[in-house]
Amino acid sequence: MGGRSVPRTVKKSNAEVPRQADCKEKMSSTSSLANLACRVEEWIEDLSLSCPPSGVSDADFNDVALELFRRQSESNPALAQLLRFWRVESSALTAWNEIPCVPTAAFKEMDMTTLEAGDRTRVFFSSGTTQQERGRHFHHAQSIALYERSLKQWLRQHCWPAGGREAMTCVSLTPPPSCVPHSSLVHMIEVGAGTASPSELRFCGELGPDDGWRLNEGLLRSQIEAAVEKEGPVCLFGTAFNFVQLLDTLSAWGETWSLPGKSRIMETGGYKGRTRELRKTELYEQMEDRLGIEREWMISEYGMSELSSQAYDGVVGSADPDLDQRVFHFPEWVRVRVVSPETLEEVGVGETGLLQVFDLANIWSALAIQTEDLAVRCPQGFSLKGRASFAEPKGCSLLPEA
Amino acid sequence: MTFEELPDYFLVDLPPEATLTPTVVSEACETLKRNRRRYLLERPSESLLRTLGLVAEKWLDPEYPIRQLALELGEARSGFPRHTIELGLQSLFGGMTPEGLNHLILQDLGHVRRLDHPTSDDAESRSGRKSFVVGPELIAHVTGGLIPNPVITSIVLGFLARSAQFVKCARRTSFLPRLFAHSVYETDPKLGACLEVAEWPGGDASFEEPLFLAADCVTAMGSDETVERLGQQLPKGTRYISYGHRVSFGYVTKAGLEDSSPRVLAEQIVDDIVQWNQNGCLSPHVVYVERGTTPSPDRLAQLLADELERRESLQPRGPISEQAAATITNRRRLYEIRAASSKDTLIWTSKGSTAWTVIFDNEARFQKSCLNRFVYVKSVDRLDDALGGADEVCGQISSVGLCASLHESQKIVERLARWGVTRVCPIGRMQEPSFLWRHDGRLSLGELMMWTDWEL
Repeated sequence: MGGRSVPRTVKKSNAEVPRQADCKEKMSSTSSLANLACRVEEWIEDLSLSCPPSGVSDADFNDVALELFRRQSESNPALAQLLRFWRVESSALTAWNEIPCVPTAAFKEMDMTTLEAGDRTRVFFSSGTTQQERGRHFHHAQSIALYERSLKQWLRQHCWPAGGREAMTCVSLTPPPSCVPHSSLVHMIEVGAGTASPSELRFCGELGPDDGWRLNEGLLRSQIEAAVEKEGPVCLFGTAFNFVQLLDTLSAWGETWSLPGKSRIMETGGYKGRTRELRKTELYEQMEDRLGIEREWMISEYGMSELSSQAYDGVVGSADPDLDQRVFHFPEWVRVRVVSPETLEEVGVGETGLLQVFDLANIWSALAIQTEDLAVRCPQGFSLKGRASFAEPKGCSLLPEA
Repeated sequence: MTFEELPDYFLVDLPPEATLTPTVVSEACETLKRNRRRYLLERPSESLLRTLGLVAEKWLDPEYPIRQLALELGEARSGFPRHTIELGLQSLFGGMTPEGLNHLILQDLGHVRRLDHPTSDDAESRSGRKSFVVGPELIAHVTGGLIPNPVITSIVLGFLARSAQFVKCARRTSFLPRLFAHSVYETDPKLGACLEVAEWPGGDASFEEPLFLAADCVTAMGSDETVERLGQQLPKGTRYISYGHRVSFGYVTKAGLEDSSPRVLAEQIVDDIVQWNQNGCLSPHVVYVERGTTPSPDRLAQLLADELERRESLQPRGPISEQAAATITNRRRLYEIRAASSKDTLIWTSKGSTAWTVIFDNEARFQKSCLNRFVYVKSVDRLDDALGGADEVCGQISSVGLCASLHESQKIVERLARWGVTRVCPIGRMQEPSFLWRHDGRLSLGELMMWTDWEL
């Protein structure tokens, strides 16, 4: 593996993926993973075509989730092994919320995939230190294509709700895909923010000597200066820690930027074990002050390499300036549950628990994922409360104290 | 008596609307020093020990109002269930008798009158010398943990050293130290006047600076980072006695297992786990069990799970934070994955809750537990395998609970001591160190004292 061996877009061909018109018919008879992918693609297409989206009914979601789970339990040996251990019969389930969730740790300890070893053309790693085993989400051409469709529609609806992507300078504070080919985040930015013209998206990060991500300050400055000169808006992408680095750089330069109107930020949370962390409110306050971007134009993304879809906590331009009021939403082919860490029963609205994500775009791995994140259940989504202290007792010597 | 009826003797008693200021801290330190000179500095050991013994007796009396308060409000205020606090009080005050304290003075200082006037032990007599010890003028105790026993023990040691004491508790941890301070004040107001208890968030320099300036000795317990940070803040010349975080494990030899009733052994291990719900340095994260006899290590793990289940019905663990529960759930998930794919890992868990978890693993590597009744059982062939597995925590081990036959115990203790273990005790008594315990291998009372040698 290595490099970007997968083409950026994989066209649907009749041989690989049935045409949409065939999907419903095939669902009822001999549905396969590819058929199910086709069904999810339909929903993704609807999302892009209709505004507001046409909606995925509970019944449709339930049918596809149960069918997909049954297929995955047959063709994903690692999942099958876990189900045997849990004594779960996939055929006995009657509702999507009964599907047992696969912990993200399973992507570290096992090959959580339906793909044969020879078919795995791409892998995304979860973040982690070199000492730790990292989660691996395997893909092939079809799964990457579905992933890209899924992420692109949803990202664009949140970052460019009124269109206008073409007139914008997009700058990612992450290293480029060539440096981090196994980062699903960087791939998401590349696909989501990329256009036909590659010069419109610049990656202004690089790898440091410890393989940590850092800013290429010179490149960043030139990109921003050019955008300011053009008086066109800028869209900045990066992890929370990337933005902390940017703020530190501006502070060291003694500079405050005033980016052109309608400039925007998409931050993805995450500090990757870095020592300096800022509370989200503090980070956003400082970004407002240093970059001249209003809070309504800054949004957070929630995603992970084990998923094929992402959640956002607002739409650029109209995001809630009160960060405490923000709620993350996934697209309609994803459902979430917030469960009590004590009983694993779903908590009530306003209560905190562990976040479970049921992502139907995870066709070739496992659709139900148990995250390690604590979230508050909200009427229409969830808000994050942080990650439960956890480290795998393998590789690194000591576990953090609880 | 209700909690609200406690008199306002200490800073921690101040109503929420009263503001603690650095000046108040400074003034409190000066008052403490003055009171020490008046009431404590020259107080004979006999009188002091009698008072402390009386305080302990009160705490052991079920009718004592302050004890009743501790038990009634303890769960809500400290997070520990009533039975845990009850056991903790028994373990702490049971050993706090005038005789027990005299033994401590003798052990640490070589003579029971050493704190009263210059004396000679045998060796000193032969060399024509006497010696006398003096404690610090003002000790600032900076406490970090949830468990009250070490804090109360430190206060008692400070009284023995004839020191004024300012106990600075971390947020929401002052409940039992505060009640103890009241019991001292109520029993002997002059002694109580040499003690102050306050609570503020750690790292608040505006309060800590005046306190550290006034104190000539600072003791601290907490995470390694916290105690190191504190040490760097102290004025030059201030004596600093710090206790960083430690972990403990159990070790069961083949012969020890053969000599024991497995069920009783499982009960004893559970005693060590249940007390303070593992939230302390002395409770086992891992129990190493030697292979090659009956029951096998995994069978002992099963018995342990059975006993934890039984104990949950008698002494429930009680609620824990969402964060702590999530950590247990995440950790369980990981071991389920491993158990699903390997016979070397087994897992037993409470149903429908995170109340208890037992992980059996054939691999000897030491694992820190996520606490709250989560324990590893690991099988090994010999002690050196366990010590090799625990290499990463070498130097951080507090206690080893040992189950071994009489003839092999001495060799094992020697091996453990040379490896860096500072306390070995029977399994089942890991959480009950006596007052004579040399905390982390150091003299507890002796560490506070300064000696004056008198050559005759």
